[in-house]
Amino acid sequence: MQQQEPGGKHLNPLFARPRAHAGEPAPPGGGRRELIAMIVVVMTLFAAMEIASRFVPDYIMPSPLVILASLLDAMRTEQSHVWITLARLATAVGFSMVVGILLGLIMGTYAGIRPYLRSLIIIDTGIPALSWMLIAVFWFKNPEARIFFILTLILIPFYALNVYDGMRALSRDLVDMIESFRPSRLQVLRYLVAPHIVPYVFLTTRSVIGYAIRMAIFAELVASAVGIGSRMSLAQSTFHIDQVLAWTIFLVVLNLVVQGAVALLEKKLLKWRPEANVR
Amino acid sequence: MSGAQASPLIELANVSKRYGDQLAVDRLSFEVRHGEIVALLGKTGAGKSTVMNMLMGTIGCDEGGVRVAGVDPFREFRALKGKLSVSFQTDRLLPWRTALDNAALGLQILGRPRAEARQIARQWLARVKLEGEEDKYVHELSGGMRQRVSLARALAVDPEIVLLDESFSQLDHVTSQTLRRDFSQIVRQVGKTCVFVTHRIDDALEMADRILVLAAPARLAIEERIPEAQRHDAAFLAQVHARIARAMGGEEGG
Repeated sequence: MQQQEPGGKHLNPLFARPRAHAGEPAPPGGGRRELIAMIVVVMTLFAAMEIASRFVPDYIMPSPLVILASLLDAMRTEQSHVWITLARLATAVGFSMVVGILLGLIMGTYAGIRPYLRSLIIIDTGIPALSWMLIAVFWFKNPEARIFFILTLILIPFYALNVYDGMRALSRDLVDMIESFRPSRLQVLRYLVAPHIVPYVFLTTRSVIGYAIRMAIFAELVASAVGIGSRMSLAQSTFHIDQVLAWTIFLVVLNLVVQGAVALLEKKLLKWRPEANVR
Repeated sequence: MSGAQASPLIELANVSKRYGDQLAVDRLSFEVRHGEIVALLGKTGAGKSTVMNMLMGTIGCDEGGVRVAGVDPFREFRALKGKLSVSFQTDRLLPWRTALDNAALGLQILGRPRAEARQIARQWLARVKLEGEEDKYVHELSGGMRQRVSLARALAVDPEIVLLDESFSQLDHVTSQTLRRDFSQIVRQVGKTCVFVTHRIDDALEMADRILVLAAPARLAIEERIPEAQRHDAAFLAQVHARIARAMGGEEGG
């Protein structure tokens, strides 16, 4: 799994903003270079696929033109499956974000509860995603419940541990400053803690979004008859590798678009952060 | 001393504080009256910060009593809401807020609507000479400008008492001098009571009506008054400077 472990050490997101994420407008010159590199890599891959398709049977590697035709066909006829997957993804990520933030805040605020919650979350992170998928099939009849259960149990720890890390990084000086005005606990949360953890929430979202898409597809493949995952499963069982590859290309593009949207939102909401320039 | 009234606004009576075996404050007593600007001067380790923390209410004393605006600041922490504000050694601005919103923070905590808080904060930013800088974020401001925002934030809540914890010590000499002058002028104009901690004799001589020199463990070594009429009398100030330097052990703290 390439996903970084939850709670892993990051660059402090409060004071460092990477210059360009996927989809984020990059500095002049650098952005064009990256775009050209991306086009070159994509064209090379398509060329390699085209060459391979001439030497192996269609069920191993179809021509990129066939794959693109399948992709266009899927976009025309299977749109409902795309929307179902996106809705599942948005619901699970949104819910995990809210619950994860709450757990992180509780861990950061109540020292007595912290070790219990932390132990629970660490145990959760040790359970393989596949185990949760199989358990979900046993425990839930409804496929929506299965997928929601799988995704949230996988995603919540990332948010909880990163928000907790954010709470730990909260400057004691700022706490003393705000305390000098004698605020209520709710005011401390509103004026200090909430804005402070926003960068950590964005960092987590950017980190988990690709992973969440992969897990949603995997969960649909195991636990549902609708959604992109189920379409890919159907394509595999009917030996339509062109459709499998078409959906794969779609998922790569989807990941880039979602990452870009998150990066743009982050840039807009966190405009107060200076850009980090590393020479 | 302008606007001084009879009853003390701040009162420390035989206050002692220990950290383990170490005596940080030793039977310290002093009073500060309405409208006074008082400097707590001493070397590092003289107990200035401990006294400041007791005035802020972040720590309590072991013996004696501390009263600020009629209440015990430690035991009745929330009772001082809106009556006391603090400017710290570092600016402690919130990086996600603009200069204007930082200056408005205390007012928002006091429950003022955002628009009203921003309007008052805008006036205070103008008073500390930051007109036109309101919409800048913290990283776009210089060190001196940040400290000005911090002072505006402390004064905007219209507190009875302002505490300054070495607020000018991290600035360069020229900026620090300008800021001290501007700040003491504003505080005198609005008639606030102010206690500030410093280790620089010049800071104390320039700003204070009264200077309390602390010697470790925080006990009162000497007390000097700077009458308004002699504030710019170089010979008088030189004599006071010499007496304070002797009481501090011959050199300024740091």
